[in-house]
Amino acid sequence: MKRRKIVDWVFSGGAYCAVAVMVAFLVLVIGPVFVKGVGAYVFRGTVENRRMMLEQFGRGDSVAVLAEWAEVRRARQPVYDALRAFEREMDEMPSARRKELRAAFKEVKEGVAELLGPEPGTPLPALTRRIYGQTRWDRAKVKRAHILFEEQWDYSGGDGVRVLVPRAPMFEGTALALVFAVLEKDLEGLLRPRLRFYPQFLTDRSIDAHFFGGIGAEVAGTVYLALGAMLIAVPFGIVAAVYFQEYARGGPVLSFLRSCVNTLAGVPSVVFGLFGLAFFINTMHVSRGKSVLAGALTLALLVLPTVIRASEEAIAAVPRTYKEAALSLGAGQWRTILTVILPAALPGILTGIVISMGRAAGETAPIIFTAAVSVGPLVGLGDVLSHPTPALSWNLYNMCTEHEAADEIRHVQYGMALTLVMIVLALNLAAIFLRARVTRRLKG
Amino acid sequence: MRFAREQIVLTAGERRRRRAAAWAGRAVLFAVTSVAALAVLAIIFFIARDALPFFRQCGVVRFFASNAWYPTHEPPQFGALAIFCGSLIVTVTAVVIAVPPGILAAVCMSDLLPFGARQVLKPTIEMLAAIPSVVYGFFALVVLAPLMQDRLGVSSGVNALTASVILAVMALPTIVSVSEDALQASGRELREGSYAVGATRAETLVRVVIPASVSGIFSAVLLGVMRALGETMVVWMASGNAAQIPKPFFNLFAPVRTLTATIAGDMGEADQMTGSAHYHVLFAMGLSLLFFSFLCNVAGEWIVARQRRRMRGG
Repeated sequence: MKRRKIVDWVFSGGAYCAVAVMVAFLVLVIGPVFVKGVGAYVFRGTVENRRMMLEQFGRGDSVAVLAEWAEVRRARQPVYDALRAFEREMDEMPSARRKELRAAFKEVKEGVAELLGPEPGTPLPALTRRIYGQTRWDRAKVKRAHILFEEQWDYSGGDGVRVLVPRAPMFEGTALALVFAVLEKDLEGLLRPRLRFYPQFLTDRSIDAHFFGGIGAEVAGTVYLALGAMLIAVPFGIVAAVYFQEYARGGPVLSFLRSCVNTLAGVPSVVFGLFGLAFFINTMHVSRGKSVLAGALTLALLVLPTVIRASEEAIAAVPRTYKEAALSLGAGQWRTILTVILPAALPGILTGIVISMGRAAGETAPIIFTAAVSVGPLVGLGDVLSHPTPALSWNLYNMCTEHEAADEIRHVQYGMALTLVMIVLALNLAAIFLRARVTRRLKG
Repeated sequence: MRFAREQIVLTAGERRRRRAAAWAGRAVLFAVTSVAALAVLAIIFFIARDALPFFRQCGVVRFFASNAWYPTHEPPQFGALAIFCGSLIVTVTAVVIAVPPGILAAVCMSDLLPFGARQVLKPTIEMLAAIPSVVYGFFALVVLAPLMQDRLGVSSGVNALTASVILAVMALPTIVSVSEDALQASGRELREGSYAVGATRAETLVRVVIPASVSGIFSAVLLGVMRALGETMVVWMASGNAAQIPKPFFNLFAPVRTLTATIAGDMGEADQMTGSAHYHVLFAMGLSLLFFSFLCNVAGEWIVARQRRRMRGG
């Protein structure tokens, strides 16, 4: 008896644990994406950020920014002077010591250029990312650590262990010592971090492969693709649902069509991409190469089964009495469907549409070969028929695997992930509320 | 009198006209529905059409039996055995990880939790299912893989296990949601009968409720398999993409390469390689994926049909 009770407890406990684990997974995945993704919209921006915003986007109070920039330049001058002085000092050193210090000095000098930007007065670098110093305070602190410490690997214990060795002692007594001291104590004075809200991240163009600016082109691409897919899939989906629910009378043809729809639902998403490439682009030539249109057509096929099923469920949930009342008043089948059944089923159909739209917005594999490009300008509404577009999902992949400096723009990646998740979750939340309303209304 | 009669009774011509209109409407509906439904046949046809040149050129046996995958060598070799194995390993591991907690969670939701908690949990789980796979892949690559590398001392954080764990998390919501529906559908009388003869809750669930809804649970597992097998972004980002069979084959810390990831990764320069054997081999892989998912579908439908027959038989 006692054993049975214990087994019972263990079983129930395990079941509760399973649910807890699942919720924990949700928090674990969404948590970092949310916390760090917010960092793309709200962060501590340095004076470099304000300068970049002014010069590239024409935002901010130009007088104030320029005044601040002048102050900061004065504060930075000792650092640049120290670098210069050390270069002169190095020329007079014994060659053994010079050799020893040269590599380290080169790293420090490059580090300073990355942290604070090029020294005023020197020719401007070609890449926009090099024109400015670190625009974000969190990145600035990382760069400072690269200057202050040298990363070494200790293999004495077998596996390599990362050790950070301070560089300052190496340069003790030279002019460069000042640089380390200033960077350690007064980095805030050199960069002036201030909290910055950057909601325009959502709509701004990107500058220099996402080093600066926002994700406007990607957001627009995702919206085009999702809306386009729905525009194509919804008419087909609703018509098919009406046919299945109101017209079809069984038989082998119907069951064949039904299993076709079921099979379509099970096709892997990457196969849709292959099909889009082989059919829409290489056979139908809807566009020369990838385009938003080809991507939307492919995504439409992908969400079609979901739209059909949701619409069918919504139509089936309309009480029989509605239909019978309409028919008894003398309305024909057409009129009954158009004026009674579809309006009554509309919220349910909308729920399905909204959920499918979230799916279309989040899919990556089908658009790789049909619509997505890694870098591209914002696509205008007139170009959707012929131009490929960047999209949130594809560019998130591309930026965290293939971008030359993926580590430096993690905040943009997190921002993209957060934006994508938010778009999808918002659509799903809307669907949940819609569904709750439908159930309430059908109940009474 | 004549006036009213004309209003109610249609002339023969009018009746014919209306009947023709109804018939035409029906035909249009049927045509549109057919287009939507038959799209899947077009998919199979076009994938097969582009896969055939590969089989004709390079042979079927080499494709399935050799694991020399050197598509860019001269001459290229297209042995996909290692890639099939990669897909198999990742899918099976993901399902093995996901099914036990999935069924337990479904049991918990249908039989243990109060109604209110279920009302909250069910949409939450649907949300979990809605998160785009590329975000899961991003999480695997940026958060999970470095963590594994640092904590477990694995040489590379992107390997079969990372991909499987994330796939399992992605398959969980589907498995839970569908099994929960199946458990709910098995009915109250069954449970009450079992309690009435003195069984505990665990005994009722394990011996009565779960066996009664086993076909629904099985289709849930099949859906999970299909989701894991067809998933692209996560495996592409988190599995390591090395076309080799791990040694030994159960070494989950080895990087693997899957069908979906190969298609997505190698088609990158699709525009330039249209028509080459490398292009067609990817369609051959797509065709294999289609075939597997079709098998799963048929199995699923067979189970549902069998269950329906059984229920009807009493």
